[in-house]
Amino acid sequence: MSTAQWKEQLEQILNSPLRVLRIDLQEWNNASLEQGALTPLEAVPGASLNVAGGRIWYAVRMERAHVEVIELEADALSEIERRLVGWTIENMKPVKPSIPHAAQEAERQAVELGVWITDQLEQGRLDNEVPEAMTFGGRLFSDMIPFLLVSEHERLRNTYAELEKLLNSFFIEEVMLIPLKEQEWLILGPMSLLSDAENEDRSEGDEETPRELLASMCSGLHGMLASEWVGECHLAVGEPIGPAKAIVETTSLLRETVFLGRKFHVGENVHLPWMLHLERLLGSIPESRRAEYMEQLLNRSDVLLEPEILMTLETFFRLDCNVSETAKKLYIHRNTLLYRLDKLKQETGLDVRMFRDAVLVKIILLLYKVTKRK
Amino acid sequence: MAGVRLEHIFKKYPGSETASVTDFNLDIKDKEFLVLVGPSGCGKSTTLRMIAGLEEISEGKLFIGERLVNDVAPKDRDIAMVFQSYALYPHMNVYQNMAFGLKLRKFKKADIDKRVRDAAKILDIEHLLDRKPKALSGGQRQRVALGRAIVREPQVFLMDEPLSNLDAKLRGQMRAEISKLTKRLETTTIYVTHDQIEAMTMGDRIVVMKDGFIQQTASPEELYNRPVNMFVAGFIGAPSMNFIKGTLSEQGGAIRFKTTGIDVALTEGRAQIVREKGLVGKEAIMGIRPEDFHDEPVFIEASPNSVVNAHVEVSENLGHEKYLYLNGLGTETVIARVDGRSTVTDGINVKLAIDMNKVHMFDLTTELNVFES
Repeated sequence: MSTAQWKEQLEQILNSPLRVLRIDLQEWNNASLEQGALTPLEAVPGASLNVAGGRIWYAVRMERAHVEVIELEADALSEIERRLVGWTIENMKPVKPSIPHAAQEAERQAVELGVWITDQLEQGRLDNEVPEAMTFGGRLFSDMIPFLLVSEHERLRNTYAELEKLLNSFFIEEVMLIPLKEQEWLILGPMSLLSDAENEDRSEGDEETPRELLASMCSGLHGMLASEWVGECHLAVGEPIGPAKAIVETTSLLRETVFLGRKFHVGENVHLPWMLHLERLLGSIPESRRAEYMEQLLNRSDVLLEPEILMTLETFFRLDCNVSETAKKLYIHRNTLLYRLDKLKQETGLDVRMFRDAVLVKIILLLYKVTKRK
Repeated sequence: MAGVRLEHIFKKYPGSETASVTDFNLDIKDKEFLVLVGPSGCGKSTTLRMIAGLEEISEGKLFIGERLVNDVAPKDRDIAMVFQSYALYPHMNVYQNMAFGLKLRKFKKADIDKRVRDAAKILDIEHLLDRKPKALSGGQRQRVALGRAIVREPQVFLMDEPLSNLDAKLRGQMRAEISKLTKRLETTTIYVTHDQIEAMTMGDRIVVMKDGFIQQTASPEELYNRPVNMFVAGFIGAPSMNFIKGTLSEQGGAIRFKTTGIDVALTEGRAQIVREKGLVGKEAIMGIRPEDFHDEPVFIEASPNSVVNAHVEVSENLGHEKYLYLNGLGTETVIARVDGRSTVTDGINVKLAIDMNKVHMFDLTTELNVFES
């Protein structure tokens, strides 16, 4: 059963809305200490905490330094129901892809490996190496390029075979496709993708860095999947790895990348871990601290949240604070843009043409996106 | 080939309080070149992505030809897309990039070869077929992206700001080439841009959008000459239309528009509309395109009821024309576009006549063009 399905069913049974959140472990620990405990409550599945605002958090699973929780209104539950929800979560079996019976050997092995990776992630064992028996006859010892694909669409029949065939055609070589959760796949592409590119004749001073190459590859693959497969999807790419050693940690990193990319950059579908450092840092700040910080900053004025100013600032930052380019892009006169920026300065004291204030406003905008979408 | 019909289309993202696209209704004719234009965030790309199948439609119906395609996957919609980020496949050469979609659709090798070479010839990239994308210039890459779409011979081309990564000169060239190409191929094309010059020069019809709403759908000429509201009037045209706030009054049988430095009479036809709409004695906004100011003595002599005096703060000579930045007409700077041979210079006072047959009048509250509504 997918998260959406069990969420919907639980909401129906309890007759109360619930939210699935991914919070920082630190946030869980802080909430736990605020209840008066001397040591933080362990975030094991089913553990529950009362938190501010009359809500209850239930830990569902832990991954890296994050905890997936469900949040309910405390008033909606009697004591017995509360214990029952905890017990249900504690005994909930993680959904594992069924291992195909008649499928090809490679698919069976891929599904097994996917289940193993999921287990390691759930247990927080990021350093674990792939057992010898699961290395696809040693293929996982060779370096490969990892992509994480998350589809927006419901699972289709024969998806694995169809997707694998499509990817093999695209990469012109065999790739490894490992199903993880429902609608989530790890793709291991051949290193020749990078070496071919390096061998190409290029003019001097026009060389692409390996990261730029990976970004182009990810963008091309996303374009192909969007138009030739089931439509919109999210794709992240990582630096090349030796999968036998680093597959768990890389999967965790790419999952976090897709999570952060979707959270902070709605509308973008290609996510690169090396472009999300600030988002990662901000994502690790406990929600209560973020809300507190935003409260203090936005108390200066609401002008920052006006749609016109938001659009202006996003474009201004995207164009590296270039006034002329921003005015051109927004179809406004340069003086209109300067007027808007002056108005912002007057109301908030923040002049985004100054580096220090620009950084601060950029952080406010990123945090606003997260807090706004509660 | 086929037309595209959008019926009451809405797009609302989960968690968002407002819709990104609201009640979008449009019938795009077969073989038409339709441009969606508007500022960032107006919903034009979202609309295109819904047509492409990359975004789910929250409400409404979408037809390609006579087929309802709301639930049809992008690959099965018989469309081809070209994006701003060319999204070429970096590990394939140009030939392979163009052939890939056909290969997936199991075309015969000979057919693939013919289509790729024909498209390459049209786009003048035959000599690049063995090269990989990174060895190409921006313009060449964009041609390959177009080629990849052309070989599919789809019912509809969808293009999302395909030229915005190119420099100005190349953009001009490619603009003309895409227009030529789509006319030759006779394929319905939906083209998204924020560049009004692209919109005006390429589109058979243009849809101007703002905040998720269609503001006006019309031919380029109609949009320019008969904008329905201040947003469209200000958005289309460069330099933008001048907006001057003043008062309408009846005097000696004529309707006059007055404000600081301006006291001009409307033409009889326009005056009648103002009377019928009960705007006499009220404030309104007059819209004047920069080229509707004239400094030629003949025009000034022939237009005694529309002469104004202004101070030229700055003049910009572009060779074939001159922009005059004027003070003293209302409260804001007004821009006039006069002939490049005009002798007007910075810092002088100048007499100009307004072509009153071409002015627009906007309601102060609704911002609608009272002559067009």
